Amino acid sequence: MNLLTVIVILPLVGFLLNGLLGPRLGKPFVSAVGCGLPILAFLAAVRCFLLVQGSGGEQPLVEVAYNWATFGDRSFDIAFYFDRLSAVMTLIVTGVGSLIHVYSTGYMKDDPSYARYFAYLNLFLFFMLLLVLGRSLLVCFVGWEGVGLASYLLIGFWFEDPEKAAAGKKAFITNRVGDAGFLLGLFLIYHTLGTLEMDRINSAFLAPTLPAVSASLVGILLFIGACGKSAQIPLHVWLPDAMAGPTPVSALIHAATMVTAGVYLVARLNGIYQHAPEASHVIAIVGAATAFFAASVAVVQTDIKKVLAYSTLSQLGYMFVALGVGAYGVAVFHLYTHAFFKACLFLGAGSVIHALGGEQDIRKMGGLAKKIPITFVTFAVATAAIAGIPPLAGFFSKDEILWFAFSSATGGSPLLWAIGSITALMTSFYMFRLLWLTFLTPSRMSQEVEHHVHESPLNMSGVLIVLAVLSAVGGFVKIPDFLEHVLPLARAGGELEHFEMPLLVFSVIVALTGLAGAIMVYGKGLAKGEVLAARFQGLHRLLSNKYYVDEIYEACLYRPLHWVSDRIFLGVGDRFLIDGSLNGMAALAQRAAGRLSRVETGSLQFYVLLAVGGAAGCLIWMWRHG
Amino acid sequence: MDKSQLLLWVGIGLFAIGLVGVMIRRNALVMLMCMELMLNGVILSLVTFSQRTATLSGAVLVFLIFVVAAAEIAIAIPIVLLLSRQRRTLDVEAYSSLKG
Amino acid sequence: MSLQTLLLYLFSGGALFGGLLMLVAQHPMRVALALISSMLCLAGIYAMLGVHVIAVFQVLIYVGAVMVFMVYVIMLLDVRDPSFLRRYSHALTPGVVAGVLLAIALGMAVSQLPGPAPASQDPEGAAFLIRPFSVEFLKTYWLHFELTSVLLVAAVVAAIAVIKGGRRKDG
Repeated sequence: MNLLTVIVILPLVGFLLNGLLGPRLGKPFVSAVGCGLPILAFLAAVRCFLLVQGSGGEQPLVEVAYNWATFGDRSFDIAFYFDRLSAVMTLIVTGVGSLIHVYSTGYMKDDPSYARYFAYLNLFLFFMLLLVLGRSLLVCFVGWEGVGLASYLLIGFWFEDPEKAAAGKKAFITNRVGDAGFLLGLFLIYHTLGTLEMDRINSAFLAPTLPAVSASLVGILLFIGACGKSAQIPLHVWLPDAMAGPTPVSALIHAATMVTAGVYLVARLNGIYQHAPEASHVIAIVGAATAFFAASVAVVQTDIKKVLAYSTLSQLGYMFVALGVGAYGVAVFHLYTHAFFKACLFLGAGSVIHALGGEQDIRKMGGLAKKIPITFVTFAVATAAIAGIPPLAGFFSKDEILWFAFSSATGGSPLLWAIGSITALMTSFYMFRLLWLTFLTPSRMSQEVEHHVHESPLNMSGVLIVLAVLSAVGGFVKIPDFLEHVLPLARAGGELEHFEMPLLVFSVIVALTGLAGAIMVYGKGLAKGEVLAARFQGLHRLLSNKYYVDEIYEACLYRPLHWVSDRIFLGVGDRFLIDGSLNGMAALAQRAAGRLSRVETGSLQFYVLLAVGGAAGCLIWMWRHG
Repeated sequence: MDKSQLLLWVGIGLFAIGLVGVMIRRNALVMLMCMELMLNGVILSLVTFSQRTATLSGAVLVFLIFVVAAAEIAIAIPIVLLLSRQRRTLDVEAYSSLKG
Repeated sequence: MSLQTLLLYLFSGGALFGGLLMLVAQHPMRVALALISSMLCLAGIYAMLGVHVIAVFQVLIYVGAVMVFMVYVIMLLDVRDPSFLRRYSHALTPGVVAGVLLAIALGMAVSQLPGPAPASQDPEGAAFLIRPFSVEFLKTYWLHFELTSVLLVAAVVAAIAVIKGGRRKDG
């Protein structure tokens, strides 16, 4: 029974139905199809998971859906592969995805393009499932590109606003830059190994004789692709702008699923990275830098969604740190917990925005705790989870990451741990700042907005409750051990084991310090925060402008490219060469015709002369040549 | 040279002179007359050949040429007349509307 | 040389001289007269060759009809227009050169003719006398004769059409 193919096809069917028939058949149909099919996919995924568990957990399910192309003795198939890692990813994608679909029925209720929204959302789910279930890097890449496309469509969903459309374009283009690296890595792998199937690639690298290719080179190329998709420095610029899309889209794509594709790729191909210490170092450093940088920017943000966007960047950085030190299972563990609490946070933010009729600036919020209690409680639980307060889910995964950043035998160092801890402090600080300023400080809302504040309907608040519960208890599932067969466990080096307990206590203290700091500065409102901002003006400006990264890109990349494109390609190449040659040929033909037409003088005698001259010439020539 | 050769040369000479006359004279009527001279040169060569080979067909052709020449002149002169009436001159340089 | 040859040379020279005069004379009437004299010399040549029919017809039709018509028109038109004063066209030099070249080319071809034809059959050209010629003409070539009459009818119609059409245009 081709369950895996069914899982992948169901959202595609949803896309086609909603896309083609949705506008005509009305909202109930669209909601039923749009939410029902992902839920069915989730149930199918559960069934596959039980099948894999039933046979001991070590045998993957493999299905070949279609033979795409065969060139001589090389063939490319569309095949699906389901082992425990795929199970975790698929369950997250379909599970959290279904919840977000249900939430969207409430959030997007009044939007005129309701059917188009659900069509795109289902399309995204289809491509994401291709990505995580694909056996070969080729299928994975199709899914990779496809989620980029779906992300562009959804970020620029309200495309009549040029800024939002530009944000969608930015996301797509930045992704494409990363994809260049991905493709180069793909070509290199195919050239040396002759196969693109990920399980075979891994076994080729884990075999006693290594393949004749630099694992580090391949590793770095694939990591460039992951940078683009998972928004690591320097390709992170699209993620904050992507908040222009609807909030459930931010939750699904930019928190729970798409941005984790890069993490999945590196984790899946851990065979390569185990033999590429340089690449792994690079990954760890980039991850740590992104985590630190994003957290620092999040401290001064004033838009509720932007805070969460930078928070996502930061948490993704953590996942890459874990990958960089060889703790692949731990990275996936953090991916799993992050999906829950970040989705909960984003959807909670959506609930707040919905309650306030569209307001997103936290300086104009406050005092919402009593007015929208369900949203407040779920948001608070998710905030505590992300800050790392035990025994919520985030604590377990983040603590494991920090531990292995310190102690891993393959790349751990105290410096990494220090950066990670400072970032954790900042994370806790800005998340609790967000919580207090939005819900617990006295209200800074205008009268009419305050009047209309109302709790979200059940299809929205119900999802929030489910996600909050998962954020609370999700950490008790020991994912790294669960995935041991696929992703080898990291080891602590040397005699560092006795540091484990102190570091654990330290990370709890860090989280609580962040909480305390937030209450101290923002407990009563914005006043103290503004005083601090005035005192450290330069730093505040630097952080508010996101370290001027966008401006640097504009000056160094965009303007020169634009100049080249405008002056050289357009001015010289297009106008001068191409148009010029065409116009020149036409002018040449015209001039030649003008000159040639001088033969026609209209004078009969001239014509006779020509005829006689020609006849004489012919005769002489004929006589000469017999 | 013998008779035939001489006459043939004369025929060629007449033909060439007529042709040159068509090319160099400006008056339309003079051009027509030069064309008649060309025809005469051709007739002479035809007669010469016919007499040489003692066949009659050459002479018959000459007879036909006479008829054609008469018909031709009967049409050509009215045409020249009309043209000259329109352009008010017999100068063939003025009849160059097909220029360009 | 015999009288025959002398006369032949005379008439040939006369024909050529008449032609050259045509090129040089200014007044079209003089050109016409030169042409008439050239044609008469040609008629003399035909008579000496023995083709009396052709000689007679040359004088009757060519000189008597065609050239008379031509002289008539010359007298009718006012020939003192620009073409009278400036005789030659722009193509003077190249025309002469081209004509000479053509003459040379044709002459080359002519000078390579095979030897004199078997003149033994009919040295005096008796077949070309009027009686035998006419009988043979209307016996073997009667179709051509009839077609010429058709041609003449067509010419008559055309002449009328030209004149009538011209008249209409002139209003």
